Amino acid sequence: MKAARVFQLTALALVVISAATVGWWLYDAHTYAVEKMQAARALYAGQARAAEALLAAGVPETRVHELLPDITVAQGHAALSAQADGELRAEHARRHRQYAWEGGFFLLALAACIAVIARALRAEARVLEEQDDFLALVSHQFKTPLASLQLSLETMALRPLEPEQARVLIERMLADLARMELMVTQILESVRLERGRVDLRSEPVELAGAVARVLAALAERVQGQRITLESDVAPGLYVRADPLALDVIVRNILENALAAVAAVGGGSVAVSARARDGEIELTVRDSGVGFRPADGARLFEKFTRLHPGRGSSAYGTGLGLYIVRRLMQLAEGRVTAESSGVGQGARFVLTWPAAAVPGT
Amino acid sequence: MSTSAESARRVLVVEDDPHLAAGVLENLRAEGYEVAHLADGQAALEWLQSERCALIVLDVMLPGLDGFALCHTLRDQGNNTPVLFLTARGDPADRVRGLEAGGDDYLAKPFHLKEFLLRVRAILKRWDWYRSASASAATAQLTFGGNEVDFRAFRARAWNGEAQELTEKEAMILKVLAEHAGEIVSREDLLERVWGYDVYPSTRTVDNFILRLRKRFERDPANPRHFLTVWGVGYRFLVEGEP
Repeated sequence: MKAARVFQLTALALVVISAATVGWWLYDAHTYAVEKMQAARALYAGQARAAEALLAAGVPETRVHELLPDITVAQGHAALSAQADGELRAEHARRHRQYAWEGGFFLLALAACIAVIARALRAEARVLEEQDDFLALVSHQFKTPLASLQLSLETMALRPLEPEQARVLIERMLADLARMELMVTQILESVRLERGRVDLRSEPVELAGAVARVLAALAERVQGQRITLESDVAPGLYVRADPLALDVIVRNILENALAAVAAVGGGSVAVSARARDGEIELTVRDSGVGFRPADGARLFEKFTRLHPGRGSSAYGTGLGLYIVRRLMQLAEGRVTAESSGVGQGARFVLTWPAAAVPGT
Repeated sequence: MSTSAESARRVLVVEDDPHLAAGVLENLRAEGYEVAHLADGQAALEWLQSERCALIVLDVMLPGLDGFALCHTLRDQGNNTPVLFLTARGDPADRVRGLEAGGDDYLAKPFHLKEFLLRVRAILKRWDWYRSASASAATAQLTFGGNEVDFRAFRARAWNGEAQELTEKEAMILKVLAEHAGEIVSREDLLERVWGYDVYPSTRTVDNFILRLRKRFERDPANPRHFLTVWGVGYRFLVEGEP
C-alpha cells in the first residue's frame, strides 16, 4: 500500500512537472514566434531603407523592385508589400495556432492525468480512513461480548455456583460465542459486499420457503422468552433473487426484530407478504423498542446504535441491517423502516421485483 | 426514594449489553451490594433525579446520552455520586476524558472480575471514609481564615462572602488536609486517599487542585497562608493561617 502510494505521488509529481514544462514550452514558443516576427519586420525595414537609398541614388523603381521583390516603392517611399505583410502575418498566426493546438492538447492530457491521479489518491485516503473507522468499530463491537465471556468465566472460577447458576452462565457464554461468530460472519459478508466480491445469482425463489427456513432456525431462540413469532407468507410468491442472499436478508431482518422486542422485555414479531404492482413485499412488524421517525435511514448504516437492544443486544452486531440494505440493492430491491417513535414498535418493508412462477 | 442506609450500599449499573450487565449485577450482588440496572443514559439521568446510590458503574458507549455526557450532567447538577467508567475504548485519551468528565475511575473492557471488584471497593472505601469523616456536626464543618466549608453539602462560603460549590475531589482533598492540619501531607498520600492507586498518571494533578482551592479560599492566592507548599514533598494546611 505504501509503495503504491509512493508510486502514485511520484507519478503525480512527474505529471505536474510535465505540465509545467509544456507551459514553459508554450511560453517559449510564443516568445520565439514574436521575436521571429519582429526580426522579419526589422529585416524588411532594412530592405525598405535600402530601397529608398537605391531610389535616391537614381536606380529605377523597376530595378529596385527586381532586387527587393517584397518591397513596394511609390513616390520615392519604400514599404513592405501587402502580400509579404500578409504572408508574414499568416505565418505568425499559423505558428500560434500550431502551438495552441499542440500545447493545449498536451496540457489537457496532463490535466486529465493529474485529475485521475489526484482522484485516486483522494479515494485511497478515504478508503484508509474508512478502514480505520471500521477497525475501531469492529474492535469495539468485539470487546463487549469478549468482556461478557471473560466475566462469566472468571465468575465460574471465583465463586462456588449452584448447578442452575452454572447452567445460566454456560448458556450466556455460548450465546456470547454465537454473537462473536455471527459478528465474524457479518463482518466478512459486509466486507465482501462493500468490495463487490459477491457473485449473486438472479433466479425465481419462493419467499415462503426462505421465511420458513429462517423461522425454524430462530424458533429455538425465542423459546422461553416472552416473544411471539407469527408468519403469514402464502406459498407461490416468487421473487427474483439469490437464494442464499435471500436467506441472509430474511435472517438479518428477523434477528433485528427479535433484538428490538427483547430490548423491551418481550412482545410480538409478525411477518407477512403480498404481491403488488409487479413487486413482492415482505413486511416485518415488531412491538419492540422502535426508533425516532427521523432515524429510519440511519438504521441501515454500519454499526448504528439508536437504542439499547437494537444493534447492541445479545445477538446484535450493528451490521445486520447494513447487509440487508446492500443485498437488497444488489437484488434491485429496496428496504424501508418506519416507526412512530421510541417504544412504538417498528415496521420493515422489503420489496423485490416479482419473478414468474417457475413452470408456468 | 431510597433511604440513605439503602443507598449507601447500592450500585447503579448503566450498561446496554444485557449479558455484560447481568454478569456485573450478579457479581455485585454476590459481594453484598444492592444493585439497580438501566440500559440507557437518559433513563439513568431520570432515575438519579429521585433515587440515590453509592456508586454508578457507567458504560461510555450508551445509546442516546453517552456515559461522558451523563457524568458531566450529573456533576453540573451537583450530583457527586462516584462514577466508575466501563468502556471498550481504553486508550489514554479516553481515560483522561472520562476523568475530566468527573469520573472517579476507568476500566477498559474486557476486564478482570477481581480488578473490577477491587476498584468498586476502593471507590466506596474512599467515600465511606469521606462520609464518616464528615458525619458529626463538628467534622462536617470547617472554618478557617473567614472561610466556612460544609463537607456534607459540598458547599462553602469564602472569606469575601462568595458562595462556592466544591467538586467531590476538592472537598476530599480539603478533608484530608483538614484531618492533618499543621502536618505535611505528601502528594502521593493525597493521590492515594482521594483518587486511589493508579487512576491518575501524575502528582501534578494534586497541584492543580491545590491551586483551585487557593483561588477559592485564599485572600491572596499567590501568597497563600493556609494551603502551604512544602517544596519537594507536598502540602501543609494551617487553619489559623501562617502568621
